[in-house]
Amino acid sequence: MTALYDMRDVGHDLQATSLSWRGLFADKKSSINILSGVTLSIGKGETMGLVGESGSGKTTLARVLLGLKPATSGELAFEGRPLKAADDFAHLRRNSALMFQDPVASLSPRMKVENLVTEPFIIHGIKMQSRNARAVELLERVGLPANIALRYPHELSGGQARRVCVARALALNPKLVIADEPTAGLDVSVQNEILNLMTELKNRLEISFLIITHNLATVRHVTDRVAIMYLGRLVEQGPTREVFAKPLHPYTKSLIASEPQPDPRKRRKDPAIKGEIPGVLARPSGCEFHTRCAHAQPRCTAVTPESRTLAPDRIVRCHLAEHLI
Amino acid sequence: MSEALLSVDNLSISYQSEAGMLQALRHASVEARAGEVIGIVGESGCGKSTLASAIINILAPNAVVESGEVKFKGRNILALSTEEKRKLRGRSIAMVFQDPMSAFSPVLTIGEQLIDFQENREGVSRAEKRRQAKAMLARVGIADPQHNFSRYVHELSGGMRQRVAIAAALLMSPDVLMADEPTTALDVTMEAQIIHLLRELRTDYKGTIIVITHHLGLVGELCDRVFVMYAGEVVEEGSVDQIFHGARHPYTRALLLCDPAHLEEHTPVLPAIPGRLPDLVNPPKGCSFAPRCSLAHDRCRNEAPPVLRINAGQQARCFEALR
Repeated sequence: MTALYDMRDVGHDLQATSLSWRGLFADKKSSINILSGVTLSIGKGETMGLVGESGSGKTTLARVLLGLKPATSGELAFEGRPLKAADDFAHLRRNSALMFQDPVASLSPRMKVENLVTEPFIIHGIKMQSRNARAVELLERVGLPANIALRYPHELSGGQARRVCVARALALNPKLVIADEPTAGLDVSVQNEILNLMTELKNRLEISFLIITHNLATVRHVTDRVAIMYLGRLVEQGPTREVFAKPLHPYTKSLIASEPQPDPRKRRKDPAIKGEIPGVLARPSGCEFHTRCAHAQPRCTAVTPESRTLAPDRIVRCHLAEHLI
Repeated sequence: MSEALLSVDNLSISYQSEAGMLQALRHASVEARAGEVIGIVGESGCGKSTLASAIINILAPNAVVESGEVKFKGRNILALSTEEKRKLRGRSIAMVFQDPMSAFSPVLTIGEQLIDFQENREGVSRAEKRRQAKAMLARVGIADPQHNFSRYVHELSGGMRQRVAIAAALLMSPDVLMADEPTTALDVTMEAQIIHLLRELRTDYKGTIIVITHHLGLVGELCDRVFVMYAGEVVEEGSVDQIFHGARHPYTRALLLCDPAHLEEHTPVLPAIPGRLPDLVNPPKGCSFAPRCSLAHDRCRNEAPPVLRINAGQQARCFEALR
């Protein structure tokens, strides 16, 4: 599989101006490290899952990927072309789309659906014969009837609003779609319909998807590869099936074990993972996960583990991975 | 079996809407005994929130109780005066909401609010209320209650907020604790911890916990008895094991089948329930699930199905339930 998008050792620092008493007189700049050492590649026609708890940096990564936030270190490349100048990002944006987390908030309440889904054509200066005809065509692609085109967002159900977002994301036939929590807040049956729609469109139109979510149950079924993020670092990545069958990182293991089982006969006694994700302001030393890891050793608190390839396409950032399998 | 602490009998509630009366809840019956954890499960629009509002007596002004009653310790609480309802709320029946951020005031500290919630407790000094509030924070697993007592909600993480919300609800030691989607806003790791906390609380909390959710994982992990709702009706009830391992209503089965967490194998095309919820202004005259049901026959479409008893404690509203 050829890579459509490559990230190599990408980091993102947030510049913050601290306003201390002293800061009032001498403006002291400091930076907070959000992402660091992220190496990820998304193949053509591949669905990649990006999983992590709130505050792990998933959304920031998506924004850096699209150039909405700068990468403060590392390299980005789309279709083999390095992303450096504004032109490179313009090319990327013409060929990519972002589906936002909250569909209702991302659809302007004063615009009709036909104008919402065809807005990308206006933004990129692409001519249309008729705006309504184009909209109907796009809506049909996501299984919505033509009369939806004349409605306003508040007249849509949750599932319909999601479909409109999918239609808009696919308007310019992008090569890459980033979906931030594409099914949050939906009922399970509607959620499955949306995911099936995305899978079907991916197969038909050869789109690559990056699905950002904390819902492991769906990631397991709809993604080809998965990357697990913790405090701004990718701690594990690999083919979804293998990662779920045999997680290498203790964090991945406990995430999978935390998922509530819809089966009263499989109740667990103890939560698999205790405590909360530490904030980026109080980043633990060494391996960031050591404060919650059951296997942590003195080395883990002192030395930051490097990403290592343990098996073909199985990358993990843990000192002890091979001993824990 | 002991007598029900709380029972909803044949309750029907409609909302006045422009299109006509929207029948949000139809002939719903639910029973909860002391010491039990009850799960009320269903998708959006199934009536579970209306049922919850009726139990805690916060029905919207346009809601009309068409028939039935909600009995708490033998008294119909829907018929109480406003003052009596107010006394019941919080003290005997408390609620944990889905979004703990909006359940607290942003301008008062956690501690001030936890003391205020005990306002109705007579003959207890403020110092004693403070002590109890701190003890409750410690009980729900808040590390360093002393420090967190003087913090504001925005300073807490989602998991901590939900813990504080549970502490607030338990302060008056209510007989019924209702939790509306208590883990939906949380990450899996926090969700697992809140489930663990609720399970742990059962050991020393004598009342009933009612969990309202669309999340089957939460029900499977936590509940003893389950009521499955669809289009305003309770379509099936049973013990958690009967529901998860011997469901008889086609809707319950479809719902279980759809849960991706239920699928062991890698399934690129996920199952879905075809069709949509019926219009509740004009509900179907037969079974409300018939238009989406693969087993439906003519009788299902024309005649409302009876509630059939399947086993001790399990019953379903379906003609085919005994097949």
